[in-house]
Amino acid sequence: MSPTAKVQREGEIWAVGGGKGGTGKTFLTSSLGSFLAKKGRKVVLVDMDIGGANLHSFFGIDRPQRSLTSFFEKGSSLQDILVRTDLDNLTLITGDIHSIASDTITFSQKLKLFRQILKINAQNVLIDLGAGSHLNTLDAFLIADKMVVVLVPEVIAIENMYHFIKNALFRKVKAVLKEYGFKEIVQHVWDRRQEFGIRNLKELIDHLKGSFSFIGTILDNELSRFRVALILNMVRNKQDIFLGTAVKSVLLKYLGVGIEYVGYVEYNDAVWRSVRERKPFMLNYTATAGAANIAAVGDNLLKGGEIVLPGGLG
Amino acid sequence: MNKDHAASLYAVLELAPGAGLRDVQNAYLRLRRLYADQSIVLEPLEEEFTADRRREILAEVEAAYQKLLVVLHAETPKAEALLPDDGAAGTGPDETPAMVFGGLALRKIRERLNIDLNEISRELKLRLELLRSIEEERFEALPEETYLKSHLRSYARYLGLKPEKIVEDYLGRYRARAKK
Ligand SMILES: Nc1ncnc2c1ncn2[C@@H]1O[C@H](COP(=O)(O)OP(=O)(O)OP(=O)(O)O)[C@@H](O)[C@H]1O
Ligand SMILES: [Mg+2]
Repeated sequence: MSPTAKVQREGEIWAVGGGKGGTGKTFLTSSLGSFLAKKGRKVVLVDMDIGGANLHSFFGIDRPQRSLTSFFEKGSSLQDILVRTDLDNLTLITGDIHSIASDTITFSQKLKLFRQILKINAQNVLIDLGAGSHLNTLDAFLIADKMVVVLVPEVIAIENMYHFIKNALFRKVKAVLKEYGFKEIVQHVWDRRQEFGIRNLKELIDHLKGSFSFIGTILDNELSRFRVALILNMVRNKQDIFLGTAVKSVLLKYLGVGIEYVGYVEYNDAVWRSVRERKPFMLNYTATAGAANIAAVGDNLLKGGEIVLPGGLG
Repeated sequence: MNKDHAASLYAVLELAPGAGLRDVQNAYLRLRRLYADQSIVLEPLEEEFTADRRREILAEVEAAYQKLLVVLHAETPKAEALLPDDGAAGTGPDETPAMVFGGLALRKIRERLNIDLNEISRELKLRLELLRSIEEERFEALPEETYLKSHLRSYARYLGLKPEKIVEDYLGRYRARAKK
């Protein structure tokens, strides 16, 4: 199986990544999962932050009895290691910080994990990704039906996110062409980029499309599905909200990648309070602005909608 | 103007074909600000978005916007059309209606954009009374030309109109009246 293969399934996989650490990926995975479960949907959350796993603590679980460690080391199936939470419809596949590092996972272990994730019997599977652009992280991002990135309004987070999406796109292009048996072409052209006057990934893709019409057809078809959903987290004022729209324009021009700006979540003291109290945010802080923001984001992700912003000078 | 061409103009403004005047206006202002100003969104990509590249983008945005304004203007029902004052519309060689912008035209454009005078007054820090006088062409209540010119420029910019054209047209009317 290649990371790009998308089987027709009933459930939908959402992967939550974005590059920079500490932007709220895990908090949002847990909260969006809770939102979906409260709507009556059957949800499984997967902690793919190998080495930094902490999704369980957002549900008040200290040390899960079962984790991916037994999947990797003892050959348990994902079904065997599901961990229950306070929400009836929501179970977890937890990670374990104490045993495995991302680098120790073999290629075949990774494929086995992805294969089983694709088969999980749930309406929504949400994957919490770690920070950075590790290949395992990118591949998990690429198996998703909805590729979600979490951004906070600061320059380093924006820079890391561009980098993350660029890496994911490059990996996708290579994977797609490999699938069709043109593995060498991308690297070959990229290595000789100066000769071709190629300065960046977008120009590389344009060059490939222009030089080989069959590649053009393949890439047009496959990359039209490369759409990313953006959540802006820890928003503190009105100007911040409009950064999402600006990022959308820049990514379109920079990489030719279309993104959906699905919404923002404001900076909310109740978040760290809920983390400290070890209680799921969406169960205990339902009346907060943050919870309303998350519900709006969740609705957009479910329906394929985007945030509607008032016009004007913002 | 054929459909594909219009669609490509909308695409430059990152809009779906058929978006209304207000959306076009907002997209234009937003993109112009984004690629003209410094921002944390572009800072990490300085090498990609060089000064030249930005100028190129801004020129594209400007051209698409000006063309769409004409299209949307042509599609506006007659009764509420943004008719130039004195009905001085003619059809130029490039099929662009030659408009003369006076106070009434400015007001009509503003109203079609659903922009409140109070909003402009607040955002541009201009007295409400002054803005009213501009729209009603109460020339005697307006400040002297240098000041008027700068007010007109910011007002025009706020509406997403080319300031040069507005200032030229409006001052033309202002001076003509002063002579009488
Ligand atoms: N909207 C918010 N308002 C206030 N605090 C927030 C918000 N979102 C997240 N936080 C806080 O930020 C911290 C980091 O969040 P989280 O662990 O979800 O980030 P992460 O992106 O998963 O980090 P990592 O990259 O290390 O996995 C948490 O302590 C959380 O309480
Ligand atoms: Mg995390």
